[in-house]
Amino acid sequence: MKTGLDPIYKAIASVRLPGAKRWLLVGIALALVASYFSGQFNRYYLGVWMDCGINIILAVSLNLINGHTGQFSLGHAGFMSVGGYTAAKLSLVYSPSVPPEWHPVLLCAGLLLGGLASAVAGFLVGVPSLRLRGDYLAIVTLGFGEIIRVIFQNTEAVGAASGLSGIPKYTTLGWTFGVAAITIYVVAALVNSTYGRGFLAVSDDEVAASSMGINPTRYKVTAFVLGAFFAGIAGALYAHHKQTLTPTQFDFMKSIDIVVMVILGGMGRTGGVILAAIILTWMPEMLRGFADYRMIMYALLIIALMMLRPQGLFALNFKRKGGGAA
Amino acid sequence: MDSFFQQLINGLALGSIYGLIALGYTMVYGVLRFINFAHSDVLMLGAYAAFFLAPKVQQIVPLPGLAGALIVMLLAALICAAAGMLIEFLAYRPLRSRPKLTVLITAIGVSLFIEFTCQHKAVFGAANRAFPKLIDFPNFTFLGLTFTSLNVIIVLVTAALLAGMWFIVQRTRTGAAMRAVSFNQQAAALMGINISRIITFTFGLGSALAAVAGVLYALGAPAIEPLMGTQPGLRAFIAAVVGGIGNLPGAVLGGILLGLLETFAGGIPGLSTYRDAIAFAILILILLFKPAGLLGKATVEKV
Amino acid sequence: MSQPLLKLDQVTIQFGGLTAVSKLDLAIGDREMVGLIGPNGAGKTTAFNLITGVYQPTAGRIEFAGLPIAGLKAHELTKLGVARTFQNIRLFGSLSVLDNVRAATQLHRSHGVINALWRGRAFRESEKEVRSFVMDLLGIFKLDGCADEEAKSLPYGDQRRLEIVRALATKPKLLLLDEPAAGMNPTEKEALMHLIRFIQEKFQISILLVEHDMKVVMGICERIAVLEYGVKISEGTPAEIQSDPRVIKAYLGTEDDEENVEVVHA
Repeated sequence: MKTGLDPIYKAIASVRLPGAKRWLLVGIALALVASYFSGQFNRYYLGVWMDCGINIILAVSLNLINGHTGQFSLGHAGFMSVGGYTAAKLSLVYSPSVPPEWHPVLLCAGLLLGGLASAVAGFLVGVPSLRLRGDYLAIVTLGFGEIIRVIFQNTEAVGAASGLSGIPKYTTLGWTFGVAAITIYVVAALVNSTYGRGFLAVSDDEVAASSMGINPTRYKVTAFVLGAFFAGIAGALYAHHKQTLTPTQFDFMKSIDIVVMVILGGMGRTGGVILAAIILTWMPEMLRGFADYRMIMYALLIIALMMLRPQGLFALNFKRKGGGAA
Repeated sequence: MDSFFQQLINGLALGSIYGLIALGYTMVYGVLRFINFAHSDVLMLGAYAAFFLAPKVQQIVPLPGLAGALIVMLLAALICAAAGMLIEFLAYRPLRSRPKLTVLITAIGVSLFIEFTCQHKAVFGAANRAFPKLIDFPNFTFLGLTFTSLNVIIVLVTAALLAGMWFIVQRTRTGAAMRAVSFNQQAAALMGINISRIITFTFGLGSALAAVAGVLYALGAPAIEPLMGTQPGLRAFIAAVVGGIGNLPGAVLGGILLGLLETFAGGIPGLSTYRDAIAFAILILILLFKPAGLLGKATVEKV
Repeated sequence: MSQPLLKLDQVTIQFGGLTAVSKLDLAIGDREMVGLIGPNGAGKTTAFNLITGVYQPTAGRIEFAGLPIAGLKAHELTKLGVARTFQNIRLFGSLSVLDNVRAATQLHRSHGVINALWRGRAFRESEKEVRSFVMDLLGIFKLDGCADEEAKSLPYGDQRRLEIVRALATKPKLLLLDEPAAGMNPTEKEALMHLIRFIQEKFQISILLVEHDMKVVMGICERIAVLEYGVKISEGTPAEIQSDPRVIKAYLGTEDDEENVEVVHA
């Protein structure tokens, strides 16, 4: 299947090793340069590009769970909210007493703490997930997402139903794309190792994987924990980008949005998923004129995708082939 | 004590509605092994069908009134049966040999499509609409306790429909075919069973039940809107899993259990806001400790 | 035979009222090739699943290298040195041939998440080693030419071989083959027999061959156990088994029943 996207896709898919660590540095450097010039950009476009960066983190990390490991999580928005709320609360409490030049450090601490809190949530979801598969797992993760939302909705410390507002605007283009580069690196480096082939093996056939000495339990929990960690970081960036958080921002629909990015990009195809995240972030902005029909078209897109190209729009056939060691 | 019994009957009624919806989930899961996410929207369509039909029916049969209400409900059920079969034909049939997750995501897409389309101002619009009073349901007193007759009607209708479903599935040829398809689709096809017809029939039946549930739910609810099906739909799905998916009495049992729990939890201050979380917590516990559900049979993967 | 590598001691399993395997004794010594045969429904696959931990015995004991293995998960068993193939091939279909085998090598590597992310020198060396180990292994079985192809795109015979290679990559002491000849024509069966004999000599391991094709088992096994209705009715060398009237009866039916082995296959 040749499309005009081939060269772009190949470029992204070539995040391969041992040059990968260099690629990571290039990615972060590019993000910082872009961030440096971001004053020149139109504020609106800048905001959408930051959304893109955050969505790339979400989609690539969900892809580790749903794509590479073959689980089916519908609760990514829940993980995102855990990280978002944790980091936002941290900033709201400490930003008045921290001098401005230390604000990036505060954000950094928020990202880490948010990611860790979310990873703990991922562990708690991952453990029961071991016994379930397919649609049952989907429903349970959906349930966990809803439970997390209801808890936030009822917790006065994080503003209950009205949420948190006045979160300082720390997120920049550099942060979003820098973290996106790290996420892509981590997922790609992990999967492209002998250890990481275990994720794909579990995804393909759990029973056979187990018989080859691969412990499916460990892989699945690892995927959930790592995926949740990055979702939590994405949530933290989101909080410091939007500056307000309400529980309804993290409902079932948000999880679906991320799942659609992964499916559109092609489960387990990092490059495609990145592209899909960018396209699906920009599409609603482009379709502002058709606001009334936008969501109907979105639903039709999901159905059409499943009927015509369930393997994803950008799933070209060379990702897993020849994924040689080192 | 008085309020305990009232809560009991309230929970029983709510649970019966969940049970009716759960029957649809469970039957479709039985034959196709996937969660029909759009089922909760069929329920909403049922309520809207009744909403638009009621004024028309009123011109012939007096409303509120038992006969009129039955006619409206029957028509709504027919419309929804058609809608359910149409959804199956258009969206699910082309995917029958595809992986389950593909179908699941499609079902989510179909559900979103129906919801967003119905919210559009050219269709139903997103606003709340008052549901017409199809039947009088005065309170009555029995053994010193006050009951809403609507609740009693709901429980009776559910019991009757469960019995009907059980009869269809266990005692008719079509039911035997349904069970065969559920057991092994390929083998059933080899035995000369028309798989497509059975699946269509199952969707029709499940959707008709959803319509009845939708009308009953709307009668007790303050108003209807295009997203009204989501919450009861989710609960009903949970009920189906709790009872043992694929198991008809299990679906109703699960529904009643959930309805009772929700009603009683709602009565406890501090717990009421956690109602949504409680339903899911129960689901998760059941799946962890009794994955096949209360009445389901456990299966082991063959190697 | 000093201490057997695998020892089944009076192993019984019941499903409801049905006793699928009854009081089975079986021992496999070091570097021994043992066949477990029996007509369809005799309990071969159940016995296989008991050894691989899919089922837990209702009664009796299973030991591997002197250790009881009841309750061990499949991957723990593999770690001890028991590898298996599947009756209906279960390769990692979307992975390349190379990666199928590579996934099976990680059992003996200590590198986890941190190493995979840091990619230090030790990690890179180890990845290179894995690659050359896998390529050598594939080379032995003449699969190195298609190392980069998707496993599911291989022809049937190659898939069977790849499954065996993958099992060998876990460096087992005991290899369990579940009906490897299923679906093969006589020529392929002949090649398979050579292959199994070759594996046993080359890797110096024990092999338990569960199979209903008499010819294959007779041709390569040193010792054969015969199951019928869950009970071991005979055990001995191929020659002894061939002349055992109980086996003949089980496989060929009685004199007036002219059906032969080929029918049992179908």
